[in-house]
Amino acid sequence: MQQDSSPPGQVSRRGFLKGAGAAVAATGVLGAANLPTTPRNTEPATLKADEVVPLRFELNGKQVETKVRTGYTLLETLRDHLDTTGPKLACDYGACGACTVLLDGKAVNSCLVLAVECTGRKVESVEGLAQDGKLHPIQAAFIAEDAMQCGFCTPGMLMSCKGLLDRNPHPSRAETADALAGNICRCGTYFSIFKAVDRVAKAPKEGK
Amino acid sequence: MKNFDWITPATSAEAVQSAAQAGRAFMGGGTDLLPLMKSGLREPTGVVSVARIPGMDRIELTVGGFSIGAGVTLATLCTHADVQRSLPAVADAARLAATPLVRNRATVGGNLCQRPRCWYFRHADYNCSKKGGEVCYAIEGENKFHAIFDNTTCNIVHPSNLAPAFWVHDGVIHVLGAKGERSIKLEDFWVRPEEDIRTEIALEAGELITAVSCRPLGSKSGSAFEEVNEKQSYDWGLVACAVRLSLDGDKAADARIVIGAVAPVPLRREAAEAVLNGKVPNEATAWAAADAAIAGATPLRDNAYKVTMLRACVKNAILAAAARARKS
Repeated sequence: MQQDSSPPGQVSRRGFLKGAGAAVAATGVLGAANLPTTPRNTEPATLKADEVVPLRFELNGKQVETKVRTGYTLLETLRDHLDTTGPKLACDYGACGACTVLLDGKAVNSCLVLAVECTGRKVESVEGLAQDGKLHPIQAAFIAEDAMQCGFCTPGMLMSCKGLLDRNPHPSRAETADALAGNICRCGTYFSIFKAVDRVAKAPKEGK
Repeated sequence: MKNFDWITPATSAEAVQSAAQAGRAFMGGGTDLLPLMKSGLREPTGVVSVARIPGMDRIELTVGGFSIGAGVTLATLCTHADVQRSLPAVADAARLAATPLVRNRATVGGNLCQRPRCWYFRHADYNCSKKGGEVCYAIEGENKFHAIFDNTTCNIVHPSNLAPAFWVHDGVIHVLGAKGERSIKLEDFWVRPEEDIRTEIALEAGELITAVSCRPLGSKSGSAFEEVNEKQSYDWGLVACAVRLSLDGDKAADARIVIGAVAPVPLRREAAEAVLNGKVPNEATAWAAADAAIAGATPLRDNAYKVTMLRACVKNAILAAAARARKS
């Protein structure tokens, strides 16, 4: 079904070259999308509403296994079934960021991810930041900059910061502010958090 | 949230077959569907996952234009170099939507299908006219964020950022349903409350958006999307405007102006386009076009400020598009 090997979300080389030949100014005729045309005979995979289903995924570098129902969010599963209570339940509507985790390396609201979507995927929470008793640089920087007060938003803030620093090790202030736009701190520690990110970005490189 | 059958088809054709059963819903990133389910506003018996169908997350430049898969996330859309270059209004609109956390999940298809943010609609205890009741509570109630145009029946504003941006780029929505494929122009995608108050869009039950195709910018052309928010982070636009224009010499030609977040559906402002075409786009002509864009506004008790704000937003979007056209 995949028509060529271009990675997801990328302009395909073959399609791009096809377009480059004809004038891109062509206005009227817009080609049909890359529709899959070969329905299979088998029924699509289905988990039933009344089933309790096994779920296996990588959590903070370890394979974990539990049982869920289809209506469970990733957040509920982490907190109630996997004793991983760093991600916090606050708004439950993707508005506050207290539940932020990394899913395959990308920061997401775990309250808006279904557990059943996570089969075989990689989830990172605040519990996985420190390695061998040593704080992650962003955790050490939060302490050095006094970047928390009540601490409720901190696990989510740290994961958004990690998601940012993993893909952009030297963010500008504006990039940091944008990356944290989904995490709300009622104590208003934003400025100290920006300084903590700056501190990691400016530190001499010493592994992650 | 109630449990549901979770269906993970391998192709969009399978997805459409699965969704033919009553009570089933498509889910892309789930950033709108899951909140609706948590609020009890939707209770599907089956959820058909479409975000990870291979090919749904592709962006391709083909002979006919730019094809953006319905499963492309807003995060991918706003950081994609070809989209930034050829569809700048679309990249702007994606970048300004929601938060980075939501943009990592939310999809193009879902952005077009999302339900309105009206707080009476979103509150399960208010059986408003959009949900089959008798009353639009926003008419007498708290209407600070509601419509300033076409607001006699239902006062929602359409929340999609991408819709005005796709529209100025001559967007066409590609749909797959039980009866096969069809294509819907952006301007034909909207359903006004007076036509059917229960929906905002012209999809039939079980139809799936597979892709949106757009016309990339030609030479001496620019486009931009601007919105004004109550706060900078995580907010739906109070007013929004997308503009595309070309330059013929130093004069604007073929201008396209679409406003969002001010009416139950996005609105094209042809009168404003006519004011701008044939003139050098500058502060004075942009304000004149903006005046034409706000003509006929009927603000409610608490939202007259949106008219003033929309005027400035249209002016800014025109100047931003013109600046890009000059640089192209």
